[in-house]
Amino acid sequence: MRVWMATCLLLCAVWGCRQQQPPTSGSGATASGEPAATAPAKLKIAVIPKGTSHDFWKSVHAGAVKAARELGNVEVIFRGPEREDDREQQVSVVQNFISSRVDAIVLAPLDDTALLPAVQQATAAKIPVVIIDSGLTGTVGQDFISFAATDNYKGGQLGAQRLGEVLGGQGRVLLLRYQEGSASTVERERGFIEKLAEAPGISLVDPKRHAGPTRATAQEAAENLLTAHSDVQGVFCPNESSTFGMLLALRSRGLAGKVRFVGFDASAGLVEALGQGELDGLVVQNPMHMGYTGVKTAADYLAGKPVPPLQDTGVVLVTKETMGQPEYQELLFPDLTKYP
Amino acid sequence: MNTGAALAPLSRLPGGRASPGRRVLLTALAPFLGLLVVIALFYAIPPHPWVSLLDLQTVAVHTVIVGIAAMGMTFIIISGGIDLSVGSAIALTSVAVALALKQGWGVPAAVVVALGTGALCGFYNSVLITLLRLPPFIATLGTLGFYRGLAKWISGSMPVSAPAQGLGLWVRPAPVQEWLPLAPAVWLMLALGVFLAAVLRYTILGRYTFAIGSNEATARLCGIRVPRMKVYIYVLAGLLTGLAGLMQFARLTQGDPTVAIGVELDVIAAVVIGGGSLSGGQGSMLGTLAGAFLMAFLRNRCTVLGWPNFVQEMIVGHIIIIAVAIDQWRARRVER
Repeated sequence: MRVWMATCLLLCAVWGCRQQQPPTSGSGATASGEPAATAPAKLKIAVIPKGTSHDFWKSVHAGAVKAARELGNVEVIFRGPEREDDREQQVSVVQNFISSRVDAIVLAPLDDTALLPAVQQATAAKIPVVIIDSGLTGTVGQDFISFAATDNYKGGQLGAQRLGEVLGGQGRVLLLRYQEGSASTVERERGFIEKLAEAPGISLVDPKRHAGPTRATAQEAAENLLTAHSDVQGVFCPNESSTFGMLLALRSRGLAGKVRFVGFDASAGLVEALGQGELDGLVVQNPMHMGYTGVKTAADYLAGKPVPPLQDTGVVLVTKETMGQPEYQELLFPDLTKYP
Repeated sequence: MNTGAALAPLSRLPGGRASPGRRVLLTALAPFLGLLVVIALFYAIPPHPWVSLLDLQTVAVHTVIVGIAAMGMTFIIISGGIDLSVGSAIALTSVAVALALKQGWGVPAAVVVALGTGALCGFYNSVLITLLRLPPFIATLGTLGFYRGLAKWISGSMPVSAPAQGLGLWVRPAPVQEWLPLAPAVWLMLALGVFLAAVLRYTILGRYTFAIGSNEATARLCGIRVPRMKVYIYVLAGLLTGLAGLMQFARLTQGDPTVAIGVELDVIAAVVIGGGSLSGGQGSMLGTLAGAFLMAFLRNRCTVLGWPNFVQEMIVGHIIIIAVAIDQWRARRVER
């Protein structure tokens, strides 16, 4: 009796979910006009982002779907941990994809060491892995087939250069770091610090404070920092959530637009702040191209083509003056609706 | 496996209800039946993805951390208590293990460190509950923050990487030894499950646990030293939490002070799905393991089917609701 009751209820629940099966699971990606029947066995490529709540990963998803559409015989499965510091859940997701025998995995590792065993397990199971966005301590060509990411060091340098310009080469600059163990942002911070050291008139205030995984944690950290260092003229943050948290903190203290501020990554809120002059520059990556390159590389490898071990997916500085240019418009306002 | 054993002491204790053997057996088997139903349901969904051996191996490994911690929680919940600090204690233990291994200590020393850390956490909880007479919910809500902060402090707020010294192989889904169908950690969990089910049924500790949870005042009047038993129960749960923390280190090969946030809820859910009652006096060790396995299995299937996280969260949420609702409904029917 109880079993039947449970069966019925579960059936309803599961069925309800199927009805609204969301677009993430599959691009249904035949090129327009091409009959689906020509590709009987689609390649399943799992794309595992660091989190699912940031705009950045939505662009990565759009790029992955774009690649799948162009290739025609690829199905993209997009799934990651909800919180950007949940290493345990990301390991589980990788292992679940291994056990379900996907054809390839595209992974943005949350941690450069914690994800290594899982990636090695995938490679041992003959599932090729492409690493995107953030580095992994393993060996490219052995533990994984390719690494496609922003030149993060260069991104940090661009930020330092811009801050130096708007400050006229004079002043104290505060750095709010993102999160320990995240290789990409550590590289950005390093690039920023080393480039900034070239300007003799600028001194760096680096209390080695970390913003944490979300906008809320970043906001709190930024508020504390601004209380402790109220005499800074410039600020730099190395990713979207830290930049946004800092922006909120600057606004609440009436400092937005007064303190020179360069951030990293684009989201609707940040682009708006850039247009209003609250931000003096945004270092912008190309997440869509990252997702695209990840899936394309995996498919190329599966087709037996040689793949480059390292790929730069591009990074530029956008300011209020340049943001109207069409090539930047596409980066700042990616048309995600085109690739649901 | 005589799973009916786990609940049998109920009928012989003050406050327990006398039930026919068949019904007791059904109660104990219910989580497994639920598990089978869910497995069958997920197979019924097109495109009928098979549950392969590797799937089972993977899900079993994903069960280990929550499963081991939930066995300790089963004791606590049967005794009428609760422990919200499990997730933080797991993080603290994983950091302690990482620091020990980084010092060059061997695996046996790391195991001792893990069990010691866990036991200390459990002991502190029990001291707060018995000496300060705090409700377990409040005491462990406090230590939830305390252990998390401690973990961040001793790790310098960053993950501590350490040589895994073969610990990683314990939780590798496909074991290196091909004659082993499941990872060593899974065997450890299963062996502990059988052992603790026996402890719950045959030992004084187990029967007093049921007695305290069924009616604490009666238990005290019967001469049970309730505070001392509570210390034993929380320390035992702490030992298991420590073991779960060791497994957490093995999974990530690093001690991460921010790991396992919210795991206490998964652990409690596993106990509840497995037939535990938050008002005490009810629970089954093997049911708890089935509950933990069920949740890991759902995560695996949702990934295989390409469903996003929110679908899985909605399903798991309702499985808890359904499990408890059926249990309540059945309990009312028995009373009539």
